Amino acid sequence: MSKENVKVQVRHLTKKFGDLLVLNDVSFEVKKGQFLCVVGPTGCGKTTFLNCITKLYEPTSGEILLDGEPVDLRKHNVSYIFQEYSAMSWLTVEQNIAFGLNIKHFPKEEVKARVDEVIAMVGLEKFRNYYPNQLSASMLQRVVIARAFATKPDLLLMDEPYGQLDIELRFKLEDELIGLWEQLGTTIIFITHNIEEAVYISEDILVLTNKPTTIKTMINNSLPRPRNVTSRSFIDLREQVTELIKWW
Amino acid sequence: MKNKAKQKQIAIKILATIFSFLIFGLLWEMLVRFSDVGRVMPGPLETLQSFFEHFTEKYSAYTLPEHVWRSLRRVLTGYFFAAIAAIALGILMASYKTIDAIVSPLFNMVRPIPPVAWIPLAILWFGINDGSKYFLIFWASFLSMVQNVYAGTKSADPKLIGAAKMLGANDGHIFLTIVLPSAVPYIFSGLQLGINSAWAMAIGSEMIRSTDGVGWLIIRGMDNNNLLQELVGILAVGIVGFALASVLRGVEAKLCRWNKRGT
Repeated sequence: MSKENVKVQVRHLTKKFGDLLVLNDVSFEVKKGQFLCVVGPTGCGKTTFLNCITKLYEPTSGEILLDGEPVDLRKHNVSYIFQEYSAMSWLTVEQNIAFGLNIKHFPKEEVKARVDEVIAMVGLEKFRNYYPNQLSASMLQRVVIARAFATKPDLLLMDEPYGQLDIELRFKLEDELIGLWEQLGTTIIFITHNIEEAVYISEDILVLTNKPTTIKTMINNSLPRPRNVTSRSFIDLREQVTELIKWW
Repeated sequence: MKNKAKQKQIAIKILATIFSFLIFGLLWEMLVRFSDVGRVMPGPLETLQSFFEHFTEKYSAYTLPEHVWRSLRRVLTGYFFAAIAAIALGILMASYKTIDAIVSPLFNMVRPIPPVAWIPLAILWFGINDGSKYFLIFWASFLSMVQNVYAGTKSADPKLIGAAKMLGANDGHIFLTIVLPSAVPYIFSGLQLGINSAWAMAIGSEMIRSTDGVGWLIIRGMDNNNLLQELVGILAVGIVGFALASVLRGVEAKLCRWNKRGT
């Protein structure tokens, strides 16, 4: 992979909590515009890994480079979508989506234009003046996704964002996410414990081992889109990944 | 459709309020008519009549509204400064561990002391006139409010703080856009508690020594064995307290629309 084409470089990343070794010398690269899913056994340290990228945790050793430089959230345009809903309850849908843009002091016209653009993408135009407590679970997660995309992030980190949704909503939002990624070309690192989800949305799948976590393998997912979860090739890939993360 | 349902809800609420007042009045009237209490205690209608008559007639130097205004002026002044001080101290304690560590032990020791226990000291420090009353009202409402502001400032969801950080917010942004809005409902609860304490303390302090105010009205009624005057004073306290609480609830409902469930 040429240097210009690399978005994220993880080099010998190790994270310990006291004596507990969670991440053990993890190294890999994510290319620009790549949609990478990270899967692994429950509790293997997937979230710890994301939290190291965003500096919520300091790595014990090793480094994470974004565009060839150590991660600096003031400089790099990174968005993070958490597993739990993180819409601000005192802001309307529109104000929530504009939150990051206002923080970054974008001009008013630009804020309005971008909010209008992403609010249409996630289908919430009719709800722009609603407060979060007036919205359903899927709408709430769409608000958070729209807020993340409104800033046109270079890197979007998603930590099991659909983990709490039922299967129908999950499929709908997964399709929406793929659509947004195809339109905007954002680099996405998506963590999930749901292998079907990983096979459905990803371009590449990074499989982690049990603790202390290392990389088991990186699988290129070249299934054509739109993907059919009942097709033979889809099921084969899903079973291949399942075999890889089996710890039982 | 939604408006109709809302109107119906409001109508039911008003009717229920009128009904509860009627029941209360009826019980009062029965107590006065059918027990020995009636020999000394006026009934609800007599009390109401006297209440309205004293809109123009004077108790000592002032009419009833003038007495109410004198109490209210003390309450609002003490309460205003208490609210500013409580909001500032609560936020500082919740935001800075050092301030919290220094102030909390002292505050936790002082908080359980009933504000009336400070009356002798307040008179010693601020004199027997209005100075001590302002201080006591300030102190009573301040103590009621600090804890809520503190809890509210601490209540900010770490997940939202994390989300804001990821979107590029610095500490100042996080305070203004996450911590403060999260604290607003708690602050309003504190303001409600504070206004009740302030009003109670105003009446209490006017009973100690005063020449005006609703507290004076009640205590002078007692001294002169004038139960009607006492009841008029109590009725005035109830009405003004209710009005103050309603105003605060209205402001809260306006500012915290997002805190209500449903569309």
